[in-house]
Amino acid sequence: MRKRLTSIIMAVFITAATIAVSTLPVYATPSGLPYDTYNYDLWEQIKLSPAAYIPDKIVRAENFTYNGESIGRFASPQDISRSPYGDLYVADTGNNRIVVIDSTMSNCIKIISSFDNNGVTDTFNQPTGVCVSGKNQIYVADSQNRRIVVLEQDGTLVKIVANPRSESLDENFIFTPLKVAVDYADRIYCTAQFMFEGIMVFEANGDFSSFFGTISVIITPWEQIWKRLATREQRANQQLFIPTEFTGIDIDQGGFVYASSIDNEGVQGVRRLNPKGEDVIKKGGNENIGGDLMIFGPTDFAGPSQFIDVVYRGNGLYSALDRRRGRIFTYDHEGNLLYIFGALGTQEGTFNLPVSIEDMNDRLLVLDAGRSEIVTFRATEYGRLINEAVSLRFDGDEALAVDLWKRVLEINENNELANTGLGKAYLTAGDNALAMRYLRLGMNREYYSIAFRRYRNSILIEHANAGLTAMAVLVAGSMIFKRIRKTRKKKGDTDDTGAGFTYE
Amino acid sequence: MENFRDKLKYMWYTVGHPMDGYYWIRHRERGSVLLAIVMIILFSFSFTANRLLASFVVNDINPRGIDSFYELIAVLSFFLLLSVSNWSVTCLMGGEGRMKDIVIAFGYGTVPITVMVVAATIVSQAVADNEMAFYYIMLIAGIGYGVIMMLIGVMQVHNYTMGKTLFTLFLTFISLLIIIFLILLIANMLSMVYLFFSSIYTEIFFRL
Repeated sequence: MRKRLTSIIMAVFITAATIAVSTLPVYATPSGLPYDTYNYDLWEQIKLSPAAYIPDKIVRAENFTYNGESIGRFASPQDISRSPYGDLYVADTGNNRIVVIDSTMSNCIKIISSFDNNGVTDTFNQPTGVCVSGKNQIYVADSQNRRIVVLEQDGTLVKIVANPRSESLDENFIFTPLKVAVDYADRIYCTAQFMFEGIMVFEANGDFSSFFGTISVIITPWEQIWKRLATREQRANQQLFIPTEFTGIDIDQGGFVYASSIDNEGVQGVRRLNPKGEDVIKKGGNENIGGDLMIFGPTDFAGPSQFIDVVYRGNGLYSALDRRRGRIFTYDHEGNLLYIFGALGTQEGTFNLPVSIEDMNDRLLVLDAGRSEIVTFRATEYGRLINEAVSLRFDGDEALAVDLWKRVLEINENNELANTGLGKAYLTAGDNALAMRYLRLGMNREYYSIAFRRYRNSILIEHANAGLTAMAVLVAGSMIFKRIRKTRKKKGDTDDTGAGFTYE
Repeated sequence: MENFRDKLKYMWYTVGHPMDGYYWIRHRERGSVLLAIVMIILFSFSFTANRLLASFVVNDINPRGIDSFYELIAVLSFFLLLSVSNWSVTCLMGGEGRMKDIVIAFGYGTVPITVMVVAATIVSQAVADNEMAFYYIMLIAGIGYGVIMMLIGVMQVHNYTMGKTLFTLFLTFISLLIIIFLILLIANMLSMVYLFFSSIYTEIFFRL
């Protein structure tokens, strides 16, 4: 029985795969990428698109020298962070050090592996997170020393945040910070291991202030019924309903916190938290900012995307890094999915175990902990045009973006955002027919509807005379026809019609 | 042909007067099974056409996912299942209707739905954003009237009260599930029998 079922499934799968393979075009990818880049249309179908970003340079620590000596490989690095002054800080977790690389990504400027702690030389133990504040102070999440260390650029200690105490914290809570971020007022936001209540916020003086942006657990009625039916032993073996941990944090200029988390539904992997800790992100037309939309299938490769880190890139753009398939998803401030690139693999430009993403001088950097290297991505013309057009829209200058959208369409005529952008421009300019065409291609029902109404009304007004005349003629004609028929009937020369059913 | 025209005319009369119409279908053979099946086929086509052709303003269905043939098969087999399960229930519950009456009751009941779906699809070509309600009202009216017609049809051909009709329809639904279950069971068992004989064949084949 089982075998039979398996063979049926296999047969269906093989047939489907054969059909899929035979109908798909062969990609000699023009950019030579080891993966396909794509996006989703309104129907949540995959549409291949040109690459918005392509792998550029692989940064490995063994190529760097510091004080004339090679600095050796990164060992399982867990975090990268850009300072406001343009340098890149790498939390080289396995080597217990922070490595600073200059903005050209070709020189090592500094290595911080120890600091002076009130006269005693202190070191890090598995630093998993690093961040640089606006004052150029370095914040290190020193995970196995259970503390956050704050240093000046010259290495002098500013403060140590450790052992937070609060009524809302468990008595024997062990503080293991993982990722850290700092806002304009030097408040520290940090994710901690086994801390499911949200992001921990510390005041500038290092006191624990509160939890932030707790992800509430949603238990479906179905799960409740199961819980009700299960015995005590079964319940003990079931998965606990605990909220998800945040995986990465970034803070924008306005103090809004972008935080990624792993969503098992694949609906929302990024949150934008206002100063009160409420999620104010926009999820776009399809109410989804969870990465891939086509996630079903029997393989390990299927399943919702798992966002491990997020970076805010200015002008409302943010990119999230998917751990499961090694993809980078970029959204705009309205939650539209702009472009997707990246993949897991063994070739250059793919990842083994991506853990952190950072944005640097129009490049995107992805830290690969498995291969201990940083993959840098450079924007193609396609990606650059989209970034610029979306930024213009973010600033409210949508009209200026028209030329950019036109060029985007020259590269990829399937781009729904570009079509919508053009359609809206034509709508504003009063060319309703063209607006309808582009909004239809852009799959924007809301604006298409507006364009359609204007177009229809203009046609109605244009032909109002002819239409009304025709109607008047028709009405008069039918009245005359009825009159004639009536008089004929009276004469009795037809025994007409009607559903004259009689039943006795 | 003359006969067919009469039947067609009578179908329209039934749409207008379901109570009388269905009563005489049962007692004076005024209905036509062929016509009922044609109406079900038309219903299936109108359903497909609506999803394919309704204006983009009211329709965001991916046309690539629509196949009129599969939908026709699905609709026909659903009506067959519905008729058979209704017949098997009402047989036991003092229903006077024969199989052909039941098929006609359901088949004629699709007529208002088909008409309104087609009309709404045409209207959808002219509605814009805030007028979408017209389109949906047309659809709801058509489907609502169709359901009422089917209810009255079942009631009249079996000579039931409304309460009993609803109760038998509930039982119909359950027997429908049972029939599906049995079909799956039989299909599974047949496939096992087939597997058994095919493996015997292979064994013998390899041993000879």
